[in-house]
Amino acid sequence: MPASPALLRASGLAQGMGWILLYLLLISAPLIVLIAWPLPTSGLPVRDFSVGLGFAAMGMLGVQFLLTARFRRASAPFGLDILYYFHRLTALVAFAFLVGHYLILRISYPEQFGALNPLEAPLGQSAGQLALLLFGVLIVISLWRRQLCIGYEVWRVAHASLATIAFLAAVVHIELAGDFTNHPLLRWVWTAYTLFWVLLIAYVRLVKPWGMLRKPWRVTEVRPERGHAWTVSLRPEGHEGMHFAPGQFAWLTLRASPFAMKEHPFSIASSATDPSRIEFTIKALGDFTRTIGSVQPGELAYIEGPHGVFSVDRHPQAPGFVFIAGGVGIVPIMSMLRTLADRGDRRRLRLFYASKRLEEVIFCEEIEDLSTRLDLEVIHVIGDPPPDWTGEQGRIDAALLKRHLPPAPETLEYFLCGPKPMMDALQLCLRGLGVPLGHIHYDRFELV
Amino acid sequence: MRALLVRIMAFATATLMLLLAFTFAWLHHPAPPGELSGAVQAGRAVYQTHGCALCHAIGGEGNPRTPLDGVGARRDAAQIRDWILATGEAEGALPAPIARVKSSFRTLGEEDLAALVAYLQSLPPRD
Repeated sequence: MPASPALLRASGLAQGMGWILLYLLLISAPLIVLIAWPLPTSGLPVRDFSVGLGFAAMGMLGVQFLLTARFRRASAPFGLDILYYFHRLTALVAFAFLVGHYLILRISYPEQFGALNPLEAPLGQSAGQLALLLFGVLIVISLWRRQLCIGYEVWRVAHASLATIAFLAAVVHIELAGDFTNHPLLRWVWTAYTLFWVLLIAYVRLVKPWGMLRKPWRVTEVRPERGHAWTVSLRPEGHEGMHFAPGQFAWLTLRASPFAMKEHPFSIASSATDPSRIEFTIKALGDFTRTIGSVQPGELAYIEGPHGVFSVDRHPQAPGFVFIAGGVGIVPIMSMLRTLADRGDRRRLRLFYASKRLEEVIFCEEIEDLSTRLDLEVIHVIGDPPPDWTGEQGRIDAALLKRHLPPAPETLEYFLCGPKPMMDALQLCLRGLGVPLGHIHYDRFELV
Repeated sequence: MRALLVRIMAFATATLMLLLAFTFAWLHHPAPPGELSGAVQAGRAVYQTHGCALCHAIGGEGNPRTPLDGVGARRDAAQIRDWILATGEAEGALPAPIARVKSSFRTLGEEDLAALVAYLQSLPPRD
């Protein structure tokens, strides 16, 4: 007998809480050891607080990689996009702690701090300053990657390398400059963190790609879509394919080995009813995506996934769904519409679809076809419409939503996908219309 | 909704870690001064104020890499003074980066320096 939705929700909540508790335990392990075991007093509480900040930061940084290692089991209750967001926020917190650790010591005990020049300073101090500098660079290139014109693939390699070197430099700093590392249990904690880091790298960079290599895919078609987008169609090569929920995304590797760290995340566009045919619709926006059009049928591809919680399948009891898409944000929504049509779903559906120009409406014809197979009302909103356009124009706002939403809009589930400013504005509009926050779902498009 | 929960979770994580760091520092509060003579007590204050425990330990308190227990039995006042300031025999014996750090203590006043030496001379050997 299938489990009831309430039971599934409770199970998901329990799993989520379990992972959160494990995370908190892992990051606080060094400080718990220091607090729980009797240690001699140092007589310098300010110094000890600073050391505590350093240990707090290192505990958090020691498991940062775990958050982005794409463990499907661990990410399932939250969604991978949101784990990346948490990774970003906690990295900022940990870096603030590291800066605090450094500044407190430098300001309170300036005599003990030698020169900044690593040739003149003790090795332990230089290792700590190097770690701080590298973590700082890491944060700058991650927060402002686009502004600094750093390509995604270059950034990924730089991010992984800088993080590993910085973490090892910080461990050297703790070992040489610290005075609590003589504690045997704490020594074990740091050894465990370092081993954990190395094993995670081995898993993510070797074991996972090896698994992908054993399950290759073959490009069967590359077709142009409206709005400067391309659809890449893939068939499994010697395996049954990939089961996914409509709306999920996966990492796609084209024209490279899965070991090459050249995978990119894209939403799946095809129907979830056929796991042996996966389609990605990709807009030519960046260095990699501009080359999609030149991919030829017959080329090998690798897929890692599926990931994400942006799916109608997580809300089986919903009386109906409202989809709001902007531009290429239609892709995961298209997967949901195609899947619902293939399943013969007859629930109430609305699609608000914003495009800059009429000729750029991706999947325009197929959406019209889907509206005949589903109880679907489509509202196209064109930013720059032709003179004879009689439909909605401009931007999607509260008034426009109000004109087209069915009665009792607060009972429906809302799926938003598009540029971040549009999603931020729409969330406020929907809240203003009385839609509960828990009914508004969105995919965080830009992981970095 | 999820983004809001994540921001709350990140804030809660930061608060928890700050509390743990504070608890750790609070548990390792300074020991009471005890019955010490005026000069020795003043020297102890200089030792604490200038963060000598970052690199040294006394009675197991501080950085255990370079304990100072019983230093008065091994060196006389002039030698201790040299090792504090990286002068005399200590200048050549210390690694250059450490000597540079120690040379910064040459700005200590004569009274503070004498008190510090008196305090270090008073330290009993550790069992």
